[in-house]
This record gives sequence, C-alpha cells and structure tokens, in this order.
Amino acid sequence: MVRPAMSEEEPEPGPGADETSSHEAFTNAAWSIPSYILSGMAVYGGLGWLLDHWLGTSALFPIGILVGLALAIFLVYHRYGR
Amino acid sequence: MSAPHLLASGGGEEFEAPGLHIFDWGPLFPDGPSWLDWLTKPVLIVALSALVTVLFAWRAFRSPKLVPKGIQNIGEVGYLFVRDQIARPMIGKDGDKWMGFLFATFFFVLFMNLSGVIPVLQLPAPSHIAFAIVLAITVYVIMLFLSVKHQGLVGYFKNMMFPPGLPKPLYLILAPIELLSNIILRPFTHAVRLFANMFAGHLLLAFFSTVAWWFLVEKLTVLGAGVGVVGFLMTIVMTAFEIFVQSLQAFIFTLLAASYIGGALHPDH
Repeated sequence: MVRPAMSEEEPEPGPGADETSSHEAFTNAAWSIPSYILSGMAVYGGLGWLLDHWLGTSALFPIGILVGLALAIFLVYHRYGR
Repeated sequence: MSAPHLLASGGGEEFEAPGLHIFDWGPLFPDGPSWLDWLTKPVLIVALSALVTVLFAWRAFRSPKLVPKGIQNIGEVGYLFVRDQIARPMIGKDGDKWMGFLFATFFFVLFMNLSGVIPVLQLPAPSHIAFAIVLAITVYVIMLFLSVKHQGLVGYFKNMMFPPGLPKPLYLILAPIELLSNIILRPFTHAVRLFANMFAGHLLLAFFSTVAWWFLVEKLTVLGAGVGVVGFLMTIVMTAFEIFVQSLQAFIFTLLAASYIGGALHPDH
C-alpha cells in the first residue's frame, strides 16, 4: 500500500477496513501467544499440581501442563487463526 | 573511572565475566547529601530520555513550516511512522486521537533503550525491570479503563472470557486461561519483553567488551590476543545489533500498547 506522504486531513481508515483488521489480527495473534501459552500451562499445570498434592500422585502436574499447552494453542487458533 | 575499569572487575589474575553487578548503580554522588541518594545513573538516564523526548517534539513541532526543514523533517518522519505503522493499523479510525500518547511512548522508550549504546551513559534504562513495569502498568491501566468504559464491566469480562463460536462446555475449560492471560500475564509479558531484551543486550555488550579489554590490554599474551581481537570485533557487531534490537523493542512496546488500546475500544475480534 502506497500511502500519501505527510497529509492534511485525509479520510481514514483509508485502504479498506479489511486490511486493517487482518493486520491487527495477525499482530495480536503473534504477540498474544506467549501470554496464552504461559496462562494455559499455569492454570492446568497448577490444577494438576494441586491434585497431585491432594491425591499423592505425581503424574498429573506434567499432564496438566501439556493439556494447558494444547488448550492455549487451540484458543489462539480459534481467536485469530481463521 | 572509565567503563573498562568498572567492567574488568576485581583486578584478580583470572578473567572474570561481568555479572549482575554491572546493573548495580549506587547514588550518583556517593559523598553528596543523603537527600540526593535517589539520583542513580538509571534514574538520570530516564530523566534525560524524558527531557530529550520533550525537547525533540517541541523543537520539531514548535512552529511547523509547510515545507519542513531540519528537525521538523525528522519529527514528521517519526510521526508518520508511528501513525501509519502503529496507530492506524492497531486502533483504526480512532488511532489519530492516540498519537500523542503513542508518539511520546515510542520516542521515550527509544531514547531510554538507545542510551545503552551512547558513550558514557551506556546503560539501557529498561534493563532495570522497574522502568519497564511502570510503562507497562500505565498502558494496562489505560486499557482497563477504556475496556470498562466502552464495553461495560460485564461486557468486558464477557468479551474477554467467552469468545463467540464455541460449544458451551468448552468455555468452562477455556475461560480461566483467557482470564489469566489477559488480566495478569499480558502486562507481565509486556514489561518482561522489553526488560529482558535490554538486560540481555547490555550483558552481551559488557561481556564482549570485557573480553577485548582483558585480553588486549590488561593481560596481553600471544595466545590471548586472538581472543581479544574476536571480543573487540564482536563488540562492534553486537553494538550494531543492539541498536537494531533497541529500536525494534521500542517499536514492539508501542505496537502492543496500541494493540491493547485498540482491543479495548473495539472488542469484536
């Protein structure tokens, strides 16, 4: 997109709202991924750790982390992937 | 008290890589009055960066000419960059209203970062996480305020935790992830991304310049000279790379700020 140089009041949002929102969606997705993944692992890893603690097991913590990871990736895909 | 002397710590016989102590700066005037103890080097750099940002904007736009000259040129290029690459793509038609905040944020962070390669200063202020946190919290508070104002308190949490188009039971599983991600981890990653880049960059630069100083000046030997030359060359290469990273991180920090503001104003995607 060639944009005019220093403008007076050019009418915006300019070249199509579509381009704007897809650009925004891409950027949002790209930069949301770390916090979603951390969040997923923290929530379900934490849940697994608590269950391990109460039940005296040891496998639920790593399983929880993996489940949280998968859910987080699914969530990013659902929010921004399509 | 030149930088290399500070870097080559201890003065022992063994090469010692710079560690966390290179981030510790006591009061700028240790013998001065105690009410001046808050004035450390990072604080001075932040104050200078704020001052430079203000002066830059003031000089560039104080009396704008139709045909820009000198610093007004730079100001306009900077303004257009922030507006066309950050404000409008991220916020849309309301983007121009936020230019004051975004322009100031971008150049403030940029100047703070670039002080990492400016001789004598040579410390990127956000390598102290407190400065990155304050900036991230500012953006976070703006985002929360705008979200509640434009979506309502209930609407905000509903839009955040229940993205449309999923079977109902799935919300039960996914909502906690959304909540933690948006409310707690977002400002955290926002601050840490800036901090960690500046911290690591400063450490790398300090390491290579210490290697060069140690093997070429303090303990010059036939075998060590090669290592020193590599350290010297790497210092130059890493300085160029750091300028790139510092600019990029200023851009990304502002881009994310705009993205959060845009998301607060227009939640529907």
